[in-house]
Amino acid sequence: MIGTLIVNDIKLFFRNRFFAIVTAIGVVFYLAIYFLIPNQVNESLGVAFYIEDGESMPLFQSLTEEPGDYTLFDTEAEMLTAIEESGDYFVGLSFPSGVTEAIARGEELELNAYYAPGVPAEAKQIFHDVLVLIANAANPDVLANFQRFNDTEVVLGNDMTGAPLSFRDRILPLILMATVLMEIFGLATLLTRDIENGTARALITGPLRLHEFFAGKALMGMILAFGQLLILGIVTGILGRAPLLLLTTMLLGSFLMVGMGFFVAAISRNNTSVLAWAVIALILMMIPGLSVLLPGLATGWMKIIPSYYFVDSLHRILNFGAGWADLGRNLALLLAVGAGTLAIGTAVTRSRF
Amino acid sequence: MLSVENLSYTYPGGTEAVRGIDFTIEKGEIFGFLGPSGAGKSTTQKVLIRLLRGFQGHVTVLGKPLNEWDDSYYEQVGVAFELPNHYQKLTATENLALFRSLYSGETHDPANLLEMVGLEEDADTRLSQFSKGMQMRLNFVRALLHKPDLLFLDEPTTGLDPVNGQKIKEIIRAQREAGRTIFLTAHDMTVADQICDRVAFIIDGKITLIDSPRNLRLQHGERRVKVEFHRDGLSSPAQQAEFPLDGLGDNSEFLEVLRNNPIETIHTQEATLEDIFIETTGRTLT
Repeated sequence: MIGTLIVNDIKLFFRNRFFAIVTAIGVVFYLAIYFLIPNQVNESLGVAFYIEDGESMPLFQSLTEEPGDYTLFDTEAEMLTAIEESGDYFVGLSFPSGVTEAIARGEELELNAYYAPGVPAEAKQIFHDVLVLIANAANPDVLANFQRFNDTEVVLGNDMTGAPLSFRDRILPLILMATVLMEIFGLATLLTRDIENGTARALITGPLRLHEFFAGKALMGMILAFGQLLILGIVTGILGRAPLLLLTTMLLGSFLMVGMGFFVAAISRNNTSVLAWAVIALILMMIPGLSVLLPGLATGWMKIIPSYYFVDSLHRILNFGAGWADLGRNLALLLAVGAGTLAIGTAVTRSRF
Repeated sequence: MLSVENLSYTYPGGTEAVRGIDFTIEKGEIFGFLGPSGAGKSTTQKVLIRLLRGFQGHVTVLGKPLNEWDDSYYEQVGVAFELPNHYQKLTATENLALFRSLYSGETHDPANLLEMVGLEEDADTRLSQFSKGMQMRLNFVRALLHKPDLLFLDEPTTGLDPVNGQKIKEIIRAQREAGRTIFLTAHDMTVADQICDRVAFIIDGKITLIDSPRNLRLQHGERRVKVEFHRDGLSSPAQQAEFPLDGLGDNSEFLEVLRNNPIETIHTQEATLEDIFIETTGRTLT
């Protein structure tokens, strides 16, 4: 009986043009975004140079001893155009004639540093300080009193040196979550319509029992949400990474969306208010996804949004190789919130029959 | 078939919708439950179809206390609600097929049911394109789908044109002939008068009267006949006269009117169910 109900609900879901398009095209759309995003990271900093006077060449050579991507341009105009248009350089330095002599004399230097649009102030300051250090090092008087030190590097957390996260890897957990978020709206709409149109009442005055009605709806939501995650997982080839843990996380993420769908149906009085509440829920649930893209955004308050534990788990499994022990708390919270919202949603909506 | 003793129901908010009602319905009977909106008709029906639990009193359906029935209850009863409640994005056939698949017993072929109410040509049309009348007819036949012994029909002819209304009434009578029992909730006294074997008037949660429509008409009507006739030919204004039904064949005044004047109408002065309802409850059906 539950199977019949699930088949019927899936049929109804896909006969709703909006949900059909959002679900089917959504998966294709998200996959297209995923594959269009570069999967490699260019970690080198491009620095452009123009030297007016050949005598400054030793200074250029000492500057370029440090790791980096350095290019010497023949004219200042070429250099400026490259910085502005190519996107390969974050700064360009123009050395006027007599720079080397001025450094040797210990005179104050006037150098033009041309930055690409969007270079943050901190990066500008760091580059300025490096430049001052190198220039001073080129002065024999300064060099005599130069304080040298040795440091030991200790990386806290995951050392991503040499294996940086590409934007594609970073965005994947967000894509996975965004795909299933729409199920909140779809499920809440199906539930509310069944109650508002009286079809739920018609069903339970037949042999179908109330718990079977709700079980059918929950399973249908799980199938749709998990099915989409599975398709994305297969096409992106991520299922090879800790498959059991990943599938469990996907299952619990789907369960969370089902619970939220029931909850939205419970607080909505009719089909119109489902839209309003679902939009609020979607926006709220999306916020933690942004913390994966921009780690600086992740703050304590974000953890009160349950989707945080879904996207965080995906991020840690896919990008940092986290295991069961690392994610036990996250998974337990997903299960608890999913079950809680499902219970509240069921209790409230059944009172409307 | 159905026995209700001292049934009361109070909603969680404290509204006492049904106050100690008693009635029985025999097998093969069409029982009309009549009253204005808010009288307690729907609450009683909801209790009987087990949508509302926690009632007081004793209800026996098909020989078993209502509280003791399990899920098989719905294999035995069919329910048609007052308002159509179908999946609008499914066709008529798909709607019936969905509900049919839920029953374990013998069921009707949806195509036959649709033909029964004149919807065979719209079998593959989505419900969103159905008129209210068409949806009501589908509502009605859905209740017959699993050949239930007891039917609960809530305002089955509401929104129907006279032809389809008549068709539904004929099907209800045919169901009775097939041995089925029908609990019919209505505020349309004419429908009840035409098809019910007995009716109960309910008002403010209490039953004020139960009897057959014929007995009620006889008990509450006047035993008189009203004649409209033209005393001085058809071109003259019509006149009215009333005569007692008893001894009418020997009433010389009545016989004189019949013999010597063109007659326009002759009617016995029996009361309608609506008149009786107003007379016994002091309320109208609106």
